[in-house]
Amino acid sequence: MTRLTEAKKRARSARKRPPKYGEDIDLEIFDVPGPGVADLKLEDLSERDREVVSQVGFSPEEQGVAGSYAQFDNESILADVMIRPEGLEVLPTREALSRYDWLHDYLWNAVAVDTDKFTAASELEEYNGYYIRAKAGAKIDMPVQSCLVVKRGHSMQNVHNIIIAEEGSELHVITGCATPGVMERSLHLGISEFYVKRNAKLTFTMVHKWNEQMDVRPRSAIVVEEGGTYISSYAILSTARTVQTYPKVTLSGRRAHADLYSVVYGRSDSKYDIGGALMLAAPGANGKVVSRTIASDRSDIMARGNLVGSVSGVKGRLECNGLILSEKARIAALPMLEALADGVELSHEATVGKVGADQLNYLMSRGMTEEEATSLIISGFIRLKTPGLPAMLQRSIDDAVKMTLEKGL
Amino acid sequence: MHNNTLLETKDLRVEVGGTPILRGVDLSFSRGKVYAVLGPNASGKSTLAKAIMGIPEYEVKGGDIMLEGRSVLGKSITERAKMGIAYAFQTPPAIPGVRLDDFICRICPDYSCNEASDILMGEKCGCKQALYDDFSRLGIENLAERDLNDGFSGGESKRSELFQVLSMRPKIMFLDEPDSGLDYDSLKVVGRELRAIKEKGVTTMVIISHHRYVLEFLEVDTVYILQSGRLAYTGTMSAIPELEEMGYEKFLARTGTESKGGGQS
Repeated sequence: MTRLTEAKKRARSARKRPPKYGEDIDLEIFDVPGPGVADLKLEDLSERDREVVSQVGFSPEEQGVAGSYAQFDNESILADVMIRPEGLEVLPTREALSRYDWLHDYLWNAVAVDTDKFTAASELEEYNGYYIRAKAGAKIDMPVQSCLVVKRGHSMQNVHNIIIAEEGSELHVITGCATPGVMERSLHLGISEFYVKRNAKLTFTMVHKWNEQMDVRPRSAIVVEEGGTYISSYAILSTARTVQTYPKVTLSGRRAHADLYSVVYGRSDSKYDIGGALMLAAPGANGKVVSRTIASDRSDIMARGNLVGSVSGVKGRLECNGLILSEKARIAALPMLEALADGVELSHEATVGKVGADQLNYLMSRGMTEEEATSLIISGFIRLKTPGLPAMLQRSIDDAVKMTLEKGL
Repeated sequence: MHNNTLLETKDLRVEVGGTPILRGVDLSFSRGKVYAVLGPNASGKSTLAKAIMGIPEYEVKGGDIMLEGRSVLGKSITERAKMGIAYAFQTPPAIPGVRLDDFICRICPDYSCNEASDILMGEKCGCKQALYDDFSRLGIENLAERDLNDGFSGGESKRSELFQVLSMRPKIMFLDEPDSGLDYDSLKVVGRELRAIKEKGVTTMVIISHHRYVLEFLEVDTVYILQSGRLAYTGTMSAIPELEEMGYEKFLARTGTESKGGGQS
């Protein structure tokens, strides 16, 4: 049996498997448009679409980027390597799979196809997505940008991404996901498999801007080999119907390192179930899972984190800090530490609360009004610096946060 | 009332969480003068300053606080700050994600850059160079880009608090143990800074302290000693050596009654 039919078979067996976390969703209600290969040209984008992608850090002019990938629903696709830096590839996943037979070894390798009904559906429906690879030793300074936009109502966007940083390479990817305007309920399904080889460095920055009609189910896993570094910075600052994401990083080689940073600003009736897991599976492996969550209106945020240390000499840190801005909002932090061997060093800090009276009093004593003091505390709280992230990408996150705060407060 | 009186408390009674702390305190602070408020632990020194600043958990149960002859009791912390009352916190809370320099620019517009004329090296200028020069004078230039009060050492907090309070140009400022946790060098820096303010003669300074050094260096005009929430002594710096030798209990037992309620010297 070929690998492909094997994957389909396993997917079929998991078709009805409910997700471990987050609300279960009936997939029957969505159409799966496409797959199309309509070539997209950025210069043909409408003003509206330009604005949509710009808000999630995608430059329609492709300024300061090494390459671009854009996908609207499942149909219009652009994949472009801008200045053709040595050693960078950006292709639609389908095209890459047909071009490279070896790539099939990376498909459904980090993420198990039978994880749940969402991974199963992704395999069983037609998909596309991006394949980004930095070849061995290639240092790609400028980021590769991508954006995934859902425009059609009642539909499921099905994306499968594969990102590979080969040995000794350096690669920075920024992905923006967005929905313009109101439409009927839709689903974004995104499988992302990341492979960070020996001594490579990969950063992944993601800004999400959905609306209250969207269910969002990313399924991401990352494998980091010896001496490799993976850093992710995730911001979701918009409403959504539900978002559930729980990327799992396996630090499989000595001194492998991963940091997962996320910022969530909950609004209206949105439900967010956001987490991350680090499997510290080789000596010297180390990393952090850090989240800052803010819940306003009637939003509901679950902040999960899981560190599993399975060999001696690993170190992990978990920080979940939540700020509740409304009586009707809720934040729950669920940190979990598992030490399966001697000499495992794991720690966590979790705080959930309202804006502190002592902080407010202090700032007011410096002449600020209560409103000014509150907004300063919030904007400071949500300003999460990700060490190791290039300044330009940090700025994308900062700008998105700034825009959110200016609108929201 | 003294013509020159800036702020006074009249029979001020303050509770914290239902426990009476100040039990009727009459104090008077004149324009441009320097005061020391002393007293044993838990005598109500910090409570006095916090109640005057308007911190809600310091509940005024009786009496009044008058600034320039008008009660401030109905005023919020913000309003009192804008009226010219400032308080340097003993242990200021951390405000993560807010840089000290950005914050000071915000509370003190003199330091912030104005419009387009302040474009610096192509980047929009956040704060004027004067801010950083003044930071250096207080030896806190290393704190400029740090988050406000986040992980500041005791001495760093004191200097940052003093800096902030000074930059607000208040009419009266309450400095809660501005000298604790400072090494000799920092103590001199803080002392010099306070002395410069005194010499300008426009800001009333109220120093809550246990230590002699800064008080003597500043040549405090009036010393108030609180005991168990009441004013127990009013006098001058000349009392300090004796007080230091005898301790509060003995000192107040001997001199307390004769000067109690004596008002200003």
